[in-house]
Formats: sequence, structure tokens, C-alpha cells
Amino acid sequence: MNCTRLAGASLLAISIALAGCGQEEPAKPAAQAAAPATTDAPAATVAKPTSAEQAAVVSHYADLALAVFEDALTTGKALQASIDALLAEPTQANLEAARSAWIAARKPYMQTEVFRFGNAVVDDWEGQLNAWPLDEGLIDYVAGDYQHALGNPGASANIIANAKLTMGDQTLDLATLTPELLAELNELGGSEANVATGYHAIEFLLWGQDLNGTNPGAGNRQASDFVQGEGCTNGFCDRRAAYLKAVTTLLITDLEYMVGQWQADNADNYRATLLSEAPEQGLRKMLFGMGSLSLGELAGERMKVALEANSTEDEHDCFSDNTHNSHFYNAKGVRNVYLGEYTRADGNVVKGASLSDLVKAANADADSKLQAELAASEAALQKLVDSANNGTHFDQLIAADNTAGNALVTGAINALVAQTSGIEAAAAAIGITELNPDTADHQF
Amino acid sequence: MRLRFAAPLLFAVLAGCDTPPADTVTVVNQLSQQMLADYQHWASASAALANSTQALCQQGGSLTASQQSWREAFNAWAALQPALIGPLAEQNRSWQVQFWPDKKNLVGRQVKMLLDANPSIDQAQLDKSSVVLQGLSAAEYLLFDQSIDLSQTEQQARYCGLLLAIGGHQTQLSQDMLSAWQGAQGFAATLSNTPNQRFAEPQESLAELLRTQVSSLELMKKKLGTAIGRLSKGIAQPYQAEAWRADASLDSLRASLASLQTLWGQAQQVGLRDLVNDAALRERIEHQHAQTHDTFAAFTSGLQSLLSNSDDQQRLDKAYLELAELQRLYEKDLARALNIQMGFNAHDGD
Repeated sequence: MNCTRLAGASLLAISIALAGCGQEEPAKPAAQAAAPATTDAPAATVAKPTSAEQAAVVSHYADLALAVFEDALTTGKALQASIDALLAEPTQANLEAARSAWIAARKPYMQTEVFRFGNAVVDDWEGQLNAWPLDEGLIDYVAGDYQHALGNPGASANIIANAKLTMGDQTLDLATLTPELLAELNELGGSEANVATGYHAIEFLLWGQDLNGTNPGAGNRQASDFVQGEGCTNGFCDRRAAYLKAVTTLLITDLEYMVGQWQADNADNYRATLLSEAPEQGLRKMLFGMGSLSLGELAGERMKVALEANSTEDEHDCFSDNTHNSHFYNAKGVRNVYLGEYTRADGNVVKGASLSDLVKAANADADSKLQAELAASEAALQKLVDSANNGTHFDQLIAADNTAGNALVTGAINALVAQTSGIEAAAAAIGITELNPDTADHQF
Repeated sequence: MRLRFAAPLLFAVLAGCDTPPADTVTVVNQLSQQMLADYQHWASASAALANSTQALCQQGGSLTASQQSWREAFNAWAALQPALIGPLAEQNRSWQVQFWPDKKNLVGRQVKMLLDANPSIDQAQLDKSSVVLQGLSAAEYLLFDQSIDLSQTEQQARYCGLLLAIGGHQTQLSQDMLSAWQGAQGFAATLSNTPNQRFAEPQESLAELLRTQVSSLELMKKKLGTAIGRLSKGIAQPYQAEAWRADASLDSLRASLASLQTLWGQAQQVGLRDLVNDAALRERIEHQHAQTHDTFAAFTSGLQSLLSNSDDQQRLDKAYLELAELQRLYEKDLARALNIQMGFNAHDGD
């Protein structure tokens, strides 16, 4: 499982869409603002851009995707180098350096997620990289009060400690931990909590369990967990090191694949497919990615569930306490796509034809409104970042008795809900009426 | 934009003799009244659950009776799914009734943590606690989990405080929601009497009602799909099912579907169908409703036992596909026929 499927809604479906309404008087439901057929918006506010204008925007969208995925790969390779250094010399300083590299690698990766919804090539691929929450007992040792998904046969498999794994009448040979084996172990027994690979598996190996609940503090694994021979803590340090190396290799291979999907001048990759479709379908994918990430995924699965249930299990980067950054850069990704602008890991800026341009030409008010909403979301999420930098992290903000912290998270959720309504209005302004690229009729 | 004003006129011309012509105002009004009745039913069932848990905990009443009251309350809640619009859809109130999906057994864990920390919980304290603890999901855990037997006095001593508090919380919540739907300023009136602050015209009310129904269908799909392994390589996930402890998953889906079908309407009862000019589409949706109903009605045992049998798994797969087809008809064809645009909802990306 991938986050996509986890994203699925639930109770939150219903609650989220209108989350803002109760608190602030007559806020209209998100969907309403976008329904051109049912509002009295003057006809002049809907103006379809020309096909060439649309195509330019979709083409730049692909450029943007390439830049972000390239940065995810570059920072991923830096993470790999730091992990190699840690394994060669398992000092606390090297562990800290690897942790810093992991956090740096998350920054571009989280900005790739806006490309996930709507582009099946990303969505079908990402589960191996970013699935969460995980039953980490699948991978390594856990504390005695470890909680996992009910009925998950792999929840306490502890791959690192076991060269063989028996499940039902099947015995798996785990003697050699290779990237391919770990990929196979993902979703073991069909349980989506069995996450053997990706950023969060690496995160768990670098930090360990966060046993602090809603109190301060992240995971506290010691570098000695990777010491070979004498001095090894918690046993199986050779297999732990092999696991970390293999899982990182797999991450890099996966990122390389995705970079390849977005490169120009390749007739067989996803970019070629995307650009060969009607440009309107490309715009639809862009808008669908923005709206789905804003509402169902980020505001919903990643924030609302954790907040309402006061559940640190539903925190995104729960081992490292990096959740504030992950949320911030998710939202940043949405804004990037709308503005056609991305600041690369090296500081260079990629900029070009944007959705914002199209919307502005059709309905300047819809554009400025959405721009303001995107900025407001970023400001609201910045408050979570500031709070973390001042020592109070997301897992503390969601504690049942933290009224001020809850309000910060609620503020960010409401801003994302408002932004979703702005995305719908922007879509309507340029004549994109059916937002789901999977169900929309492909007749243009 | 002006097209919608022409629609009723067109309808009057095209509608066959078998269906009385209805306009948007009439249909929205009928749907509001139907949903109001559903809220009434839920409030009664919630109060009955509270009464029966009081009998269990304080007057030697039977556990079986409380379990039955829970089932009735849960079905009444399931029937509200296509009516989750307005007050209950705001401020995460619906989460106070049911917490699903519960991927990591938060219900069981939070109950334990709460009672360890605060053995004498009362309703006022529960009102301030996590939503996970406030609703039918936690009550299900107390009444049905294998580790708890509330027919025993010593277990009652530990769990009854929470159970009674949940009964009180649900009674209060359902009564508040009912009040919010009733009266001249209530939500039923808000839907029906346009223009108002929320809805500028009947078509806006209608659009919001349809979006709510489509969302409920997506959730039904998700509930069944998760359990039968649609998201997990085809491997069934019995503990990820809705209400698995009470094995009430299929009852819940049947109640939601029945409610949706009522809102669709039938020969003697006005519903959405009366706004569909295209007789062929009306027939397709009607047929799909009937087929979905029959498929679910044919299951004579609970989901948990069906999941362990491969023939039954195939029947469940078929039931899922029926739900999916119904959802597709609503989201695409019906929305288009009623001139309604679907916005984003929290299921996008599933």
C-alpha cells in the first residue's frame, strides 16, 4: 500500500469537504464555487484557452516534474552516500549526517507528490517509496508495547533478525537481503501496513521508534545498532546494515526510473504519452493532482485523521518528527504546479507557461483568489514549521489537551480546504468541468 | 447558464405518462423531508441504545438486548450516509459517531489508555476526549469484543462508565443534529426554501444533495473494497472491515443502499428519478439499484464468514462491481443529466 490507497477516505470524506463551514459562517461548500452550471457567473468568466496555449502549459508541467524528480534523485544519492559513510563508520556524527541527508531528500520528494494523482505512472510507483503508516516490527526490533494493524501476519516478522520467515504454509528465505527481496516483501500478506521499502523504512532504520507519544522527542536509535562485531547493539547489526544498504539502493533505482519517465526526447516514456494526449486532458491531470493532494490527502489523511483521533500513529514522518516539513513541501508542490515555478535544490528557478496564466486570461479574479489562497496555505503551514523549529512538533500539536496546537493544525486544514475550492473555481474558469481524468470523457 | 430554466419545461414535454412530472423544488423538498425522517430515526435509535445500556449496567438488563440496540443504532446511522449534508457533515461531527477505517486498532487502544488513566470517565469528560472514543465504534468494542464480556459484573465495573457516557454523547449529538434539521431555520428548510445564505436556488441544493450521495457511494465501495482485498493484492482483510467486531458490515451497506434507493424514488414516491428526462438513463439507474439490492440481499451470513470462503469471495467481488457501477452512473451520467458538476471530494486519489 501505497499512500494513494491509504489516502482513501473514510469518515473523513464527509467531514473534510466542509471542514471550514461550521466554524466560519456561511463559507460555501468547496464544490459549490466551481459549479458553473448552477451559479449565475457571467459567461465572460469562462474562456477556454487555445489548444496551443494549453499545450505549452502541459509541456512546462512535464519540465517541472522532471526538475523535481531529478532533485529527488540527486538528494537521494546524497542520502545514499551518507548512509554508505554511516555503515563504513557507524559513529553518532555519521548517523546525524545521514539523518540530515534524509530530511534534505524529503524536501524535493514531497514536492513530487502533486504529480501523483492523475498520473498513473507516478501513482502506481509511489507505494514502494512513500507508503505509511507502517508496522515497523516487520523490519526490526520494536518496544514491548508496539502496536500494529490487527490481523497483520507480518507485523512482528522482524526481517532483520530472521533469515527465514514462515507465514501460513509458506517459508520465505530471507538469508540475503537484496533490493529485489525487499520489494517482494512489501505488502506481505496483503497488509498495507507491511512496508518494507521506501523513505519511511529508511527513516525507521535511521531514527528508530518514536516512543514519546505526544510528548517531545523523536526516535532515538543509536549508531551502535550498525556496528559490526563487538559493540553491536540490539543484535543482527550485519543484517541491519545490509537491510539499510539494500533499501537505499532500491530507492535510488526507483527514482531513476521516474526521472526517465519525464525526460524529453524519448518516444516511449510517460512524458511522450502525456504530451500526445489532448492538452485539455493534461490540464485536467494537473488540476486533479492539485485538488486531490490539497483536500483528500494532505488536509485529510495526513492532518485531519491525526488531529481528530489524537493519533501519532497517523503522523506522516513519525520516526523523525519531520512531519511539518513534509506537509509544507506537499503544499509547496501544489503551488509550484499552479504557478509553473519551482526552486530547485541548487537554488535555480524553473519557470514557464502556467495554469495561472491561463486562468488569469480567462478570469483574473479567479486567478488572484487562488493565488491568495495558495499563499495563505503556505503561511498556515509555515506556522507548523515555525512551531517545530521552536521545539513543538506536529505530534505534540495534535495532543488532545493542546488547544493552541490543535488550532494551528486546524488553521492549516481550513486553508487547504479553501484552496481546494479555489482550484475548482480556477478549473471552471478555463472550462475544465469534469475534474477526474480517470472518469472524464475523453472527447474534446 | 440559462439552460436550467428550460429544463422543467422540456421535462414536462418528454416525461412519459407513467411518471408525474416533478420540478427541482418538489424533489428537493421531498428529499429533505425523507432525510429529516432518517435523522429522526437515528435520534430514536441512539436514545434506545442509551436506555438499553443503562438497563444493562444498572438494572441487570441483558447484554444481548444492548447488542441488538447497538445494531439498530448502527443501521440507523448507516441509513444516514447518503444524507450526510449540513450540520452532521461539518466540524467532523460524523467522526464522533463512527471511526473508520481503523487501521491500527486505535479504538481498542484508546479505550484501554483512557480507562487506565481515568477509570471513572463521565460524559462531560468524554465530550472532550478523542472522537475515537465517543461513538458507536467504541461502543461496538465494549459490547462485542472477545476480550470483554459485559454480562459479568466485574467487567461492568471497568467498562460501564464509558459505555454509559457514549450512550449519553450519542443521544445528545443525534438530538442536536435533529434539532438542527427541524423548524423554519432548520437544514431541511435551508435545502427547500431558496434562496438563502447557503443555497441561491433549488439547483444548488440539488447539486449538493447529489454530491453527498455520490460521496456516500464512494465510501460504500471503499468499505467493502478494503475488506475483500481490492486494495491488498486480493487478500481479504477481515479486521479492516467496518464494524467487524459485530460483523455488521453488510447490514450497514444494505441500510445505506436502501436509504439511497428511497431518495432515488419509485412509482408512487417522488425522488431524483423524477428529474431525469432521459427514460433510458432512468431505466439503467433503476435497474442498477434493483440489481445491487438483490446482490446484497442474497448474502445470508455476515461478511466475516464470507471472507473465508473462495466462492463467497467471488460473490462479494461481484457485489463490489455492482456498487461501482451504481456509483459511476450517479457520478457521471446522473450528474450530467441533472446538469451538476462534481467537485473534489476526500475520496479523490483512492
